[in-house]
Amino acid sequence: MKLQKNIILYMVMAVLSISFAMAQNQQIQGKVLDESNKPVSGVTILNASNNRALTATKDNGEFTVTVPANTTLIFRGIGFTERRIKINVNQTSLTVRLSATDNQVEEVVVRGYVARSKEKTTGSSYSLGEKDIKDNPAINIESLMQGKVPGLNIQVNTGAPGFRGSTQIRGLSTLSTQGTGNESILMPTSPLYVIDGVPMDADRASEFGLQQQGPGISPLSLIPPEDVESIEILKDAQATSLYGSRGAYGVIIINTKRGNSEVPRINYTHSSFMRSIPKLRETLGGNMERNLKLLQIYTNARTQGELDKIMQTPSLADSLNSYFNNSTNWQGLFYQNTFNQNHNFSMDGGNQQLSYKANLNFYDETGVIKNTGFTRYSSNLRMDYRPSRRFEFVGQVFAQLGKMNKGDGTGILQTGVASGGQSSTLLPPPGFFTASSDYVAAIRTRNDNKTKLIKPFIEAGVEIIDNLRFRTTLSYELSSGTEEKFSPAASSGQFSEVYAFNNRYSQFYSRNNLNYSKTLKEDHDLFFSIFNEIIHVTNQNSVITQRRTPNDQFEGPLGYDGYFSSGGGILSFKNEKALSFAFAGNYSYKSRYVLDLTYRLDGSSLNGFENLYTKNPSIGLKWNIHREDWIKGLPWINTAALRGTWGVNVMPTATLDRIYGKYNIYGNYNQQTGIGIDSYLIPNPDLKPTTSMQYNLGFDLIILNNKIDIIYDTYYKRTENLYQESYLNNTTGFSTLSSNEGGLVNYGHEVSLRLRPLKGDKFFWMLSVNGAYNRDVLLQLPSIFNGQLIRWDGSAAKQHILNRVGTHAFSNYVLVNRGVYATDADVPVDPRTGLRYRTPDGTFFQAGDPIWVDQNGDYILDDRDYTRSGSAQPNFIGGIQNEMSYKGISLTIAASYTAGRTIFNNALAERMRLLANPYGLQSVVPLDDLDMWRQDGDIAKYPNAYDFSRAGNINPLRNDQTLWEENGSYLKINQVSLAYNFDREFLKRYRLQRFRVYATMDNVYTFSKYSGPNPEGVTSLGRDLSNGYPVPRGYALGLNLSF
Amino acid sequence: MKLSNSIRLMSVLLGSCSLFAACKETFELPADRDFISENITYENKVIQPIIGRDNIHTGLLLDNSTLPLKFEIINPRYGDGTPYTDVFQKAPTYEWIAEYDGKEKSLAEIEAKRHLVEKPYFEVDDYGRFIMYGSSTNETVAPRPADTVVKTQDVRFFDLKVSNSGGFQIIKDLQLIPWRQRDYSPDYDMNPYTGGVAPDPRNPKDPSKREYLKPSWFSNIIGVNSNTNLKNDDKQTDLVVFIRRFEGGNGKSLRFRFLNPDSTSINPAKFNETKWDLLVHGFNKQMTSEYVQYDVAYPIPLTSIRTDYNSGSNARVVFKYSRTGMGGTLTYGEMGLDFRIFKPGDWEIVFMFRRESPKFEDE
Repeated sequence: MKLQKNIILYMVMAVLSISFAMAQNQQIQGKVLDESNKPVSGVTILNASNNRALTATKDNGEFTVTVPANTTLIFRGIGFTERRIKINVNQTSLTVRLSATDNQVEEVVVRGYVARSKEKTTGSSYSLGEKDIKDNPAINIESLMQGKVPGLNIQVNTGAPGFRGSTQIRGLSTLSTQGTGNESILMPTSPLYVIDGVPMDADRASEFGLQQQGPGISPLSLIPPEDVESIEILKDAQATSLYGSRGAYGVIIINTKRGNSEVPRINYTHSSFMRSIPKLRETLGGNMERNLKLLQIYTNARTQGELDKIMQTPSLADSLNSYFNNSTNWQGLFYQNTFNQNHNFSMDGGNQQLSYKANLNFYDETGVIKNTGFTRYSSNLRMDYRPSRRFEFVGQVFAQLGKMNKGDGTGILQTGVASGGQSSTLLPPPGFFTASSDYVAAIRTRNDNKTKLIKPFIEAGVEIIDNLRFRTTLSYELSSGTEEKFSPAASSGQFSEVYAFNNRYSQFYSRNNLNYSKTLKEDHDLFFSIFNEIIHVTNQNSVITQRRTPNDQFEGPLGYDGYFSSGGGILSFKNEKALSFAFAGNYSYKSRYVLDLTYRLDGSSLNGFENLYTKNPSIGLKWNIHREDWIKGLPWINTAALRGTWGVNVMPTATLDRIYGKYNIYGNYNQQTGIGIDSYLIPNPDLKPTTSMQYNLGFDLIILNNKIDIIYDTYYKRTENLYQESYLNNTTGFSTLSSNEGGLVNYGHEVSLRLRPLKGDKFFWMLSVNGAYNRDVLLQLPSIFNGQLIRWDGSAAKQHILNRVGTHAFSNYVLVNRGVYATDADVPVDPRTGLRYRTPDGTFFQAGDPIWVDQNGDYILDDRDYTRSGSAQPNFIGGIQNEMSYKGISLTIAASYTAGRTIFNNALAERMRLLANPYGLQSVVPLDDLDMWRQDGDIAKYPNAYDFSRAGNINPLRNDQTLWEENGSYLKINQVSLAYNFDREFLKRYRLQRFRVYATMDNVYTFSKYSGPNPEGVTSLGRDLSNGYPVPRGYALGLNLSF
Repeated sequence: MKLSNSIRLMSVLLGSCSLFAACKETFELPADRDFISENITYENKVIQPIIGRDNIHTGLLLDNSTLPLKFEIINPRYGDGTPYTDVFQKAPTYEWIAEYDGKEKSLAEIEAKRHLVEKPYFEVDDYGRFIMYGSSTNETVAPRPADTVVKTQDVRFFDLKVSNSGGFQIIKDLQLIPWRQRDYSPDYDMNPYTGGVAPDPRNPKDPSKREYLKPSWFSNIIGVNSNTNLKNDDKQTDLVVFIRRFEGGNGKSLRFRFLNPDSTSINPAKFNETKWDLLVHGFNKQMTSEYVQYDVAYPIPLTSIRTDYNSGSNARVVFKYSRTGMGGTLTYGEMGLDFRIFKPGDWEIVFMFRRESPKFEDE
């Protein structure tokens, strides 16, 4: 719509400028530039006296107007702040600098695939532009958005190249978890990404949790950030309801750049960057390790046998043996500093009739863990053709290839590296005669992962009659992910093995859209849109593993030995067909009062029979106060608006086996193979879809000549019919019922404040601060649980999770630690039995042991002493951005913060537990910096880690205690960039349009009280994985070149 | 005019802010309360303590209810509905205030680690444990009927109210059926229903015969006449034990005696390999030719913590002697008893050789 208007506008302006040229008065030649001295085309120049458009700037930013002296000209360009300049007598030239509008209100936004003026939309959304994500080479655009959008919680919790962190809009939306122990995470509920008008499921690669299968390359990692023009984050249900069930977790709209230069333009962006090893664990090397282990045994042994065991432990006793006489830095063998590069080349050109652009990107990053890395080849070609104002046609092709090397790990988890790095320093380094299997596995495993994606997209639009436009869109995405992995014999029990994974994903997408817009009697604006969507998604993952293959030289093709092979099969498959119909209506009176109504019907083959179509209604109201006449008396108010919305997003929770049940082969009946129903899950065709209802209230305020920009939102989101398995009485023959009885509430406040105190031609300063408070409350659980569900963690970590109605949806359920017993006399004695507090096996607690609260008062520490403690979901998130420029120099600082959450420092627990077995072949770490109990009377925080003899009975460093719960708040300086823009006149000599150099530091510093390495590097349930992939620091040097 | 416009704008903004704030009140969110399970109960709802001993009945099945909980015994009544109060009478009972470790050097030192408090004979503590205190006696708390038939009107019923901030649950119809007082253990020489002498298990109908306590083990004790090993089995019972009160002590004494078949005393010194100082945690040892006696703190053992004097929850005494056996080798004879005594008083433990005396002389 907007473009159409522009065309008409240009025509009118062209005619007008000719007619004004007749009235010869004073000719002025000039140029319009932006803050970075780039010419701005298409800026409308109006005569302020009659508000008539005179002309518009050309592509090189130049313009010519002829006006009488003392005329005031208005320069108005989309995305720029309006400027008024008075023409002096005899003035013939003029250079105008426009500053970009950063305010969120005056923009054009996309709603339900149609561009609308933001002033007339009622929903809550936030926009980011190209400049918000520049100057930092990154694989994934999400990490660049961190801290920049109020209410968008992005945690970059893995440094593994090509993998995503976690992304949530407005708190929790699920009660489901994946994985166990350290590796348990929330079921990812990423927002729906709409890339150039086509929805994309960003969680696609994460269906297997942290134990990633296959290449695991997120489709988001295939989009180069340099190609992104704008990002819009839709938060409330009014904004997302037109996207239906897939938009229930919020919507993020990403538009790539389009051609908009009459003269063909070539842009080249390059950066060379270094990723540095994060701080590794301090380790005692060589003889210090041996001495510490011996001293530990001498001072803590309780039996003669424990002392005698030294003699049977050659690494301790035989210090002259050259095999045990080393000081190997194992961690150093696995980590490296890496030098990487990123090239982005784009070409664009065209005019209103035909424009084109091509973007080519090459990104290569080697991981800080050896033998890992990510390479991206991406191309995005687009052509827009508008032969007349009635007809338009768009063709676009994405072709992307991501290559990933995961080494021996699963990408996010690098278990082999973690255990290999803990090897005793006494052992010899890998050499010609010896090889540690962990080392060989990590370094020599050959791993070839590829994700190939091709996505053609065509769109055609026609204006059937005036104001009625029909548009049809078709896209077909085909992606294939393969992993081939060859593990050499030395890495796994002297037999090589191969593993192959194959994923095939396709998405057919079609949309037909009919829009009608009309202005009645000048004051009444009407807009209607109806569209339908057809989506067909197929997905299949299959895998094959063969163990004990012939040798390291022969990698295939291989035969099959049924005995040794662990075979393979289809891990998961999906075949979803979805059909949707949507209606959107918008009415506004004098742009003052806006009413939005939308309704969407979503049908999916994944819904239960009884609920085939889900209904997503929404309503929104907005009052643009600044349009009122009475506000004109307050010139310091630029924009003031109040918004209120209500909407519902309904999302299917059913899967084929939840509706139909699962059938399996169960033995023979009368010599016939019998097929019976799996009695684990009873089929439930009545399974209801999850309903997410949201109220949003907000106001927008821009005051003092756009110097201060405030956006405030508050919301109440009630998610009901959440999926939660419930138990059945065993007399039913089935054990589990798919139930919909989960309910969850999120409520919170979001504020964004943007200050532009200095906006001169030379000096510019902008400071934005945003913050969001979110609180989640569990509303209900299936009635059988009676208000409380404990998710027992079956792994060794035993960090259980508690869901209790009325509290945080996810709380930890662990032992409460109150310090360390300073002396034996501090251990409580049961007044009845006279016995000291003890473990179930009868080991009495003593000085140096942790004080665990005996909740049930039986003076025995066991599972009944667990209690509810902290929650890993943050209450506060936000960020700060500071941008300053003086002439060509600019400085950008971006920071993000997360506060009000509890995380488990499992890494420290594991580090201290290394001392539990001094006879073993693990490294030891210095504990001098820890507040640990060492002798009688010490008031300490950490229990005695050296007491190895009783460690098996007491387990003082167990994970399931509040000792490891720490405040997970942090403030992270995400990025510091310094850029210099060369002077245009200087560049002209070299026929360059633009030349900019920059230096950036990424992941600069994290301020936190957390005692572990990185409070952000934890899972979405707040577990600090010691076998995770650390987030490295980056240093980049880069340049932008246009000619 | 300008001012009023500002006021108008402010009122719009303030009004909307208060509207936002008001919305929070209407959320109607469930309160953050403790969880109390409907399924809270006990593994065993019939409590059968033995009167005169400290009995702790555990087995509360919390079903993960949030702790701490408050427990209250309500509606105590016999099976026929008549209320009872006898078990709630208070009496002094010992409570530990420091850990007894078996290394105390005097009775006073032991007594300093515990003190007497007034407690009802039967109560539920703050953690849901039912405790019948050792201060109870057959006289203060009526035991189950001696005729072995427990009729409903003999059973003390009660309900337990369990509460926390999440509400309360009532565990109904818990039963208290105490056993008759038995002051020592092992106690199989006593009829648990009547408190009388237990009949001989081989001839239960013969009132002239009775069951005897036997030592926990004995070995290599040779009869002076038969020159064969003494033994207790189905055919013969050579060595029996009596745990009984005696007259004339100081109220806190424990005496060991050894009797020949003719009830004459064996000099305890003949058990020459016995570690008399580590026999019991007693003081003021008096060794005569008839007995050996200590001043002790009751009950014995004081706790089940591992000391030199016990084995698990029982006190352990071992009497040992050596003699030159056949072929000139030194052989050891040994007998031992694991026992408990619950009530304070003057107690003696008597080992009686029923058929023939042991041979202490060398071959």
